Amino acid sequence: MSTATEATTLRSQLRGTKKGRYADPLFKSLMTTAGVFVLFLLGVMIVRTTVDAWPVFQKEGFFGFLFGMQWTAQASNETTNPDLMLGTYGAWPFIYGTFVTAFIALVIALPLAIATALYITQAAPRRIRNSLSYWVETLAAVPSIVYGLWGLLFFVPVVLMPLFAWLESTFLGDTFLFEGPVRNVSYLAAGTVLAIMILPIMTAIIREVFSAAPQDELNAAYGMGATRWEVIRQVLLPRSTSGIVGGTMLGMGRAIGETIAVAMLVGGSQRMGYSLFFGGDSMAAHIVSTFADAYPETIIGLMAIGVALFLFTFFINILARALVWRVGRLGGDSAV
Amino acid sequence: MFTNFKSGRYVAVAAAAALLLAACGTGGGENDPGNPNAPQPATGETITLDGAGATFPTPLWQALIDDYTRNVNPNVRINYQSIGSGGGITQFKEQTVQFGSSERFLSDEDLADVEAARGCPAVQLPAVYGSVVIAFSDDQFDGLVLTADVIARVFDRDIVNFNDPAIAALNPGVDLPDVEIAPVHRSDGSGTTNVFTLYLEDEVPMWADKYGSGTEVNWAAGTIGGQGNEGVAAGIIQNPGGFGYVNQSYAIELGLPQAQVVNADGNAIYPTLEATSAGLDGLEIPESYQFSILGIGGEGYPITGAVWNFFYECGYTDAEAAELKAFWAWALGAEGDAHATELGYAPLGQAVKDRVLADLERINASN
Amino acid sequence: MSNPANTTERPSVTMSTRELASGTAEVSEEIAPSNVVFSLDDVSVYYNKFRAVRNVSFEIAKHEITALIGPSGCGKSTLLRSLNRMNDLIPGARVEGTVLYHGENIYDEEIDPVEVRRRIGMVFQKPNPFPKSIYDNVAFGPKLDGVKGSELEGMVEEALKGAALWDEVKNKLKESGHSLSGGQQQRLCIARAIAVQPEVVLMDEPCSALDPIATTRIEDLMQQIKNDYTIVIVTHNMQQAARISDRTAFFVTEVNNESDTRTGTLVEYGKTSQIFVDPHDKRTEDYISGRFG
Repeated sequence: MSTATEATTLRSQLRGTKKGRYADPLFKSLMTTAGVFVLFLLGVMIVRTTVDAWPVFQKEGFFGFLFGMQWTAQASNETTNPDLMLGTYGAWPFIYGTFVTAFIALVIALPLAIATALYITQAAPRRIRNSLSYWVETLAAVPSIVYGLWGLLFFVPVVLMPLFAWLESTFLGDTFLFEGPVRNVSYLAAGTVLAIMILPIMTAIIREVFSAAPQDELNAAYGMGATRWEVIRQVLLPRSTSGIVGGTMLGMGRAIGETIAVAMLVGGSQRMGYSLFFGGDSMAAHIVSTFADAYPETIIGLMAIGVALFLFTFFINILARALVWRVGRLGGDSAV
Repeated sequence: MFTNFKSGRYVAVAAAAALLLAACGTGGGENDPGNPNAPQPATGETITLDGAGATFPTPLWQALIDDYTRNVNPNVRINYQSIGSGGGITQFKEQTVQFGSSERFLSDEDLADVEAARGCPAVQLPAVYGSVVIAFSDDQFDGLVLTADVIARVFDRDIVNFNDPAIAALNPGVDLPDVEIAPVHRSDGSGTTNVFTLYLEDEVPMWADKYGSGTEVNWAAGTIGGQGNEGVAAGIIQNPGGFGYVNQSYAIELGLPQAQVVNADGNAIYPTLEATSAGLDGLEIPESYQFSILGIGGEGYPITGAVWNFFYECGYTDAEAAELKAFWAWALGAEGDAHATELGYAPLGQAVKDRVLADLERINASN
Repeated sequence: MSNPANTTERPSVTMSTRELASGTAEVSEEIAPSNVVFSLDDVSVYYNKFRAVRNVSFEIAKHEITALIGPSGCGKSTLLRSLNRMNDLIPGARVEGTVLYHGENIYDEEIDPVEVRRRIGMVFQKPNPFPKSIYDNVAFGPKLDGVKGSELEGMVEEALKGAALWDEVKNKLKESGHSLSGGQQQRLCIARAIAVQPEVVLMDEPCSALDPIATTRIEDLMQQIKNDYTIVIVTHNMQQAARISDRTAFFVTEVNNESDTRTGTLVEYGKTSQIFVDPHDKRTEDYISGRFG
């Protein structure tokens, strides 16, 4: 009798409450719904934009759109029939501008970000370390319009124009990449300000990567009589490569998607300039610059740029993951 | 000044009262004219009017809205989103706003679209004019005489130096320095570009062939793009030999040196508000209000555009319709004109004003 | 490398060394001056304002294994790291008193800590091979000195042999150091440390993360290499100290009630046989008999 009662009691205790038993499955389904919803939303955005932009792809051909050199907006309300569209929509000048400005930004920002992260994690006194990290992270939160205005009204005319004029006067000016004249807005001006904009996020990530390096390993190298530079060069950097690549890709993502600051500094031309001192336009900047006053037909063209931008971001992310994975495997990075 | 201001208000109120139906009397009649800043007792529901469109008239619209809702009728709220002329037309077509503003008029096709969507015709009425001026970085060029042909060749990069013979021929006796011209244009799509390129397209065959007109065109290599009026101003000021086009209101505000432009009668005209208004005196404006301001002669400054407002003939509540009419009628009055001239816009001529005031009555008329 | 004479000298807790016990001297058994490697005089180590170790004075003999033991928090690891200036890497750490290495004060302004660490290597508590191949781990130190080619290969082989790891890894030198077992990793770290041919190897609880079998192998290894190197080992394992060391320094923790801080200090130093059989200090006796700690 007593054992039977005990068994029943134990059973009822093990059963718990109904609420308790359903809490976990309920929570799980809630999370699943949220996840699926986000995917669904993304899918709808992509499909809808692509469908809207379809007539442009029909008119120009997919590769004709991507590699077409001419972009001429026309005043027409035609948004469905490619044969009735009047303009020419070749997005290559903007694709080129996007990658040139992003590349300039990376070339400038990567060494600076690594150096800053090294200083913060390896060399700075504790007090400076904390305040410097704080300021770097604050910089990452500054809205891009502020960078744009600061670049246009101060940094470009006061710092960059004299610097670029000097660059142009050196032997570099004889190469097509640095052919003058130097104007206030250009690929190089936009790329340089972009570098400053992506510096904080890259520094923050690379700093995290450096901080995550086990002090034990660094100590092992120090214990063998390695200098600080040798420890950084031989131990810290090799083991952090995948993290640095990841941070770089994130910076590149931001550089490619950056809109308003680039629009203010890149010079907004539908043509592709071969010199870095010439003006051009990036994909995002061209959309934001011309969307408001565009005729319906041109809006469809801008949507097609949006689709291309999405595709590029998508492929860069895949590339980044592959690169991080591969570099991590080669370097024996345990995080991969 | 303060007295003038008050009397101005009386005029505006009187004008509004004369024009409006009894139902609209709430607009101004209950004001205490002696104390413009005193909060008005709420006498009814607050009415909200939403508008959207061109960026060009935004400073003026904001000044008008601020003055009107503070001093004339505190019971109305007017929101204006400056999203660009194209956006204004789109939003108006999609009926998300009570009025739209644009630097280009609605085509017959646009009007048909609206009528199909709304179930009644749209009304489009010019509201104010604005000129586009050529501005320089260097004060010594203030008053430099240019023709449409020279301006077009500068932006075509055919004329690249201030000491070009074509410029020298227009400015006898002026010592022109050897300075490379840096032509600056708007990089964003804008009504300002539309007005500027329409003028060049109309005057210069080469321009019509190579560039045409529109809110954005394919600028020649070697020209500089600036985002917005600010970007163009920065481009003009920061680059030696800066040479760009901006709204007259913006040039006045910044005090930029400006060019005299030769008009259709061969007169070189410095862009003043008087010159802008003078050019508009003889303007033939059709019933449809679909017009471009081209071929200006006499004492008129030749590069000028208009801003249109769009309304519907049906679908507003009575109160909304009354407030729309009251506000825009007030904006055409003396106070509106004062705001416009102060900010560098040219008011409509009296004859056009009378027609527009009458046509404002079409708002909600077929309800 | 194994030395039979060495094995016979190996101290044991059962060995009776009564004759060494004399008086109340904290530090007994003088070391011949020519055999002194380290001479510490009134050494205190601070972390900012906090004093972690105070007033430590003793000498460390050449080609012996010296064990530093004591309860946790007694500052033995801190003291160990002050012997090759590893504490320099911790912000705010500073050393007072003198640490003489062959008569040279290693905290002298003109001394380069990098050069100090070249001569005084270190093995850490947790095996910490670099995420590189076994070969590259051992080659790391010699490469810093610019050694290349066949000379480098020779040094790597010698170091791996010295660490009794060669036979286990000679066919997989290109594999990651992380692919080895914990005990092998620690021997790899010892190989890495001795590859630069230091005079002294400091070991900070080198077996605390290892199983008993791996521990035994490391202990055997230490016995094998002590003819070539001077070894200073920190251990919390008294039996280990008794098994392997020639001399033992016993530290205690003093709790300062006012500031609620703990400071370690040296209580007794002498031949291991004496410390474990005939401790002079009551605190040492209590600790080794398991009454506290």
